[in-house]
Formats: sequence, structure tokens, C-alpha cells
Amino acid sequence: MKRLQNDRIDLIKKYLHSCKLDPELFPEILDHLACEAEERLWDGKPFEQIYDNIMETADGKVLLDLSVDHKNLLAMENSFNDIVFEGRNKLYGAYDLRKSYGQTIQRSVIMGVTLFILIVMFPNLYARLVPDPKDDDIAYIVEAKPIDIREMITKPLVKLEEPAPAPKTIRSLTPEVLPDNQVEMENLPPALEELEKAQPDSRTLDGVEDITIIIPPAAGVGSAKSSPIEVEIKNEETFLNVEQAPQYNGGAEAMSAFLQKNLKYPMQASRAGIQGRVFVQFTVGSDGKVENVAALKGIGFGCDEEAVRVVKLMQNWMPGRQAGIPVRVRFTLPISFQLN
Amino acid sequence: MDNIATSNEYVRGTLKTIVLNLLAEHDRMYGYEITQEVKERTGGAIALTFGALYPVLHKLEQEGLLITESVEVDGRLRKYYSLTTYGNETAQTKTNDLERFIDAVRLLLAPKNLATE
Repeated sequence: MKRLQNDRIDLIKKYLHSCKLDPELFPEILDHLACEAEERLWDGKPFEQIYDNIMETADGKVLLDLSVDHKNLLAMENSFNDIVFEGRNKLYGAYDLRKSYGQTIQRSVIMGVTLFILIVMFPNLYARLVPDPKDDDIAYIVEAKPIDIREMITKPLVKLEEPAPAPKTIRSLTPEVLPDNQVEMENLPPALEELEKAQPDSRTLDGVEDITIIIPPAAGVGSAKSSPIEVEIKNEETFLNVEQAPQYNGGAEAMSAFLQKNLKYPMQASRAGIQGRVFVQFTVGSDGKVENVAALKGIGFGCDEEAVRVVKLMQNWMPGRQAGIPVRVRFTLPISFQLN
Repeated sequence: MDNIATSNEYVRGTLKTIVLNLLAEHDRMYGYEITQEVKERTGGAIALTFGALYPVLHKLEQEGLLITESVEVDGRLRKYYSLTTYGNETAQTKTNDLERFIDAVRLLLAPKNLATE
């Protein structure tokens, strides 16, 4: 399509201006006429003829009609306020107020009427909701007398539960190693005769003597939980003195027999004529195993080493006991070497 | 010329429907394109003058049947018109109405003895 030259477009523009076309319509009509002109140029007609043709179809009257039509259309949309505020500051607020005036009035009228009707109807509504008593209604008069309400005191039926027979116990605490002046005489361990009839406990109680049941410690008191921990700690500890000293399995005679059998007099010592006692220190574990064997004080010439060797051979000891619990005990055994 | 003048008389009543129908077929159109389309499809029997077309377009736009967009083409602002959803519905009903009307007119115009046969 042939492009219309700018001067020719200007010519059409000038013509449209002269016809006082509405500026809002201007670009659209210009485009329309320009398109038409271009089309006819394409057909090979001279521009002068086309221009005359356009003038003929788009004469002043048609354009004026268009403008008037457009204005009418806008006028339908625009209200009285738009005319009043034409060319004035619409953002000031008065425009909005005036524009929404109709709506505001409508709303307030509805609200006012509703409120008024409600107020007028209120007695009626109230009467409907709370009906008046009629003459033939049967009524009862209820006299209310104040009544003293006292709390009924009833003896609570408490079933006295027979307490479980407590076994007779005697105070027996785990002995602690203390200096003499701090030892409390109360805490002395019980005598064997006393223990025959009573159970060892943390306090002395007069209970049933010959009871044999062992009441488990109440859960939650903590003693059940704490005791194994205490035992564990005591297991780790190495005692020097215990209630029940560790013993060689079979007693002192068996031990001396074992020593006789296994001990060999070292050659050096016999040659040098050495004799005496070797003090061997060792630990008897809670499982009866001999550990940490060492000669504490010896006579030398191979005797110390020999004593240590033999003691290491002894494995079946009965562990020492503290409050009935097997514990580790440090133990010193003198072994004498004598030349015959 | 006389022919066109008489046709314009009938076009005036149906112009709205014609424009809506054309826009329903196309995505968007501008004023001159509509006149050309009408001219081509009717073989020049109906020629829309822009003096008749634009007021109708503007009215339809104001009624919310059309929306416009301005695009710059060749240094000129071209205003394209397209149908809104409401416009689409209206186009359909209007076209149906016109078709029924044309059928009715045809019945009226036909010779009476032919119509009864």
C-alpha cells in the first residue's frame, strides 16, 4: 500500500481542523480518511481527485454531525457535576462529595426509615415477645421461705486398712571408716543374736519377729534405684578393711598347702643363705580374681619375684564382703622363706 | 448513488448488528477496515459511510460491548475495536434476531400465493 506523504496528511488535517472536528474524534477520522486516500492512490488515481472526493464524502455537515453526536454521547455519561466541575480541581474533595451525594442520601434514608420503624414498632414487638397474662390464666403463688441449709456431717466411712505386718528390724548401717573420736556409738553394727530375730534395716522397729517376707522397697522412694548405683560405686572402691576379709578358697590350710606345693626356694637365696618374710600386696576383686600383685617389702635374691609369681597363680579367692556385698579388697600376705 | 442512498435507509437499523457480527468474526478491527470489509463482502451493495459508522462504534463502546486500543501505525494513531464478553453475547443474540427478522420480511415480500404453497 502506498504511504501517504506527510504534506498530504497535513492537508487533510488542516481541512478537518477547519471543520472544527471534536479533538477526541480527530485521530480516528484522520486515520480513516488517510486509509481511504492511500487505497485510492493504490488504484492509480491522482491525489487532487482523491482529495476532492474526500471533501465531498466528509463534508462539513457530516463532520459536524459526528462531533455533535459524540458530544451528546458524552453528555449522557457526564452528569450535572461534571459540567459544574469542568476545568476545575476535582481532587479537592467537593467533587467526590457531590458525586457520592446520591448514594449517601439513599443509604441514610434507608437507615433512618429502618430505625424509625423499629422504634415505632418496639412496644408492639415487646408485647409479642413477652405476652401479658390473661385473666383466665391459672396462677400459683409460691411462697418462698428461707431455708437454712446446713452441711450434713456424716462420719466418713474410713476403712482402716490393716497395715502390713512390719518385720522387726534392727538398725544396721553400712560401717564407715572414721577417726575414733567421730565414731558414734549408736551406729555400731548389731550383734549376731539380734540379727537372728530381726532384719537389718536403716532403723530399729518393733515388728513381727519371725516374719520372713522381704518387702520390696516402695517404687518411687528412690532407694531401689539408688542402691545399685551405690553398690556399683563400692565395687569400684578398693577397701583396706572389710567386715569379712577375703579368704583363699578352702581356708588358711589350703592356702599354705598351695604355697608349699608351688613355692620354690630361689637358688640365689638358698646359696646366699637368705631367709625371711616377703610381704606381697594384692587386690582381691569382687569376683575373687587376684590383681595388682606386688612385693611390698622383700628380702631380695629372687624371693620377691618368686612370691609374686606364686600369688599370681592363686585365682580362686572368696572376695571380701562389706554389708554382704562382695567388694574389692587390698590384701597383704606375708610369705616366709626359711632354710631348713 | 441512488442505490446506496436507499440501502443506507435499511442499513441504519441493522448497522449495530452488522458491526457486532463482523467484530465477532475478527479479533480486532479499525473503522476503515470495517467499511472495507462490508464493501467487499456485499460487492459494494452496502457502503458504510464513516459518518454513520463512528457514532455507532462510539455508542457500542460506551455501552460496554466494545473495548478500544490505540496503536500507532505509519505515524498515525489507529483505534482498534474488539468485543468484550458481554459484547460477544449481544452479538449472538442480535444476529439471531436479525436473521429471524429477515426471514419474516422475506415472507412478507413474497407473493401471497407463493407463500401459502
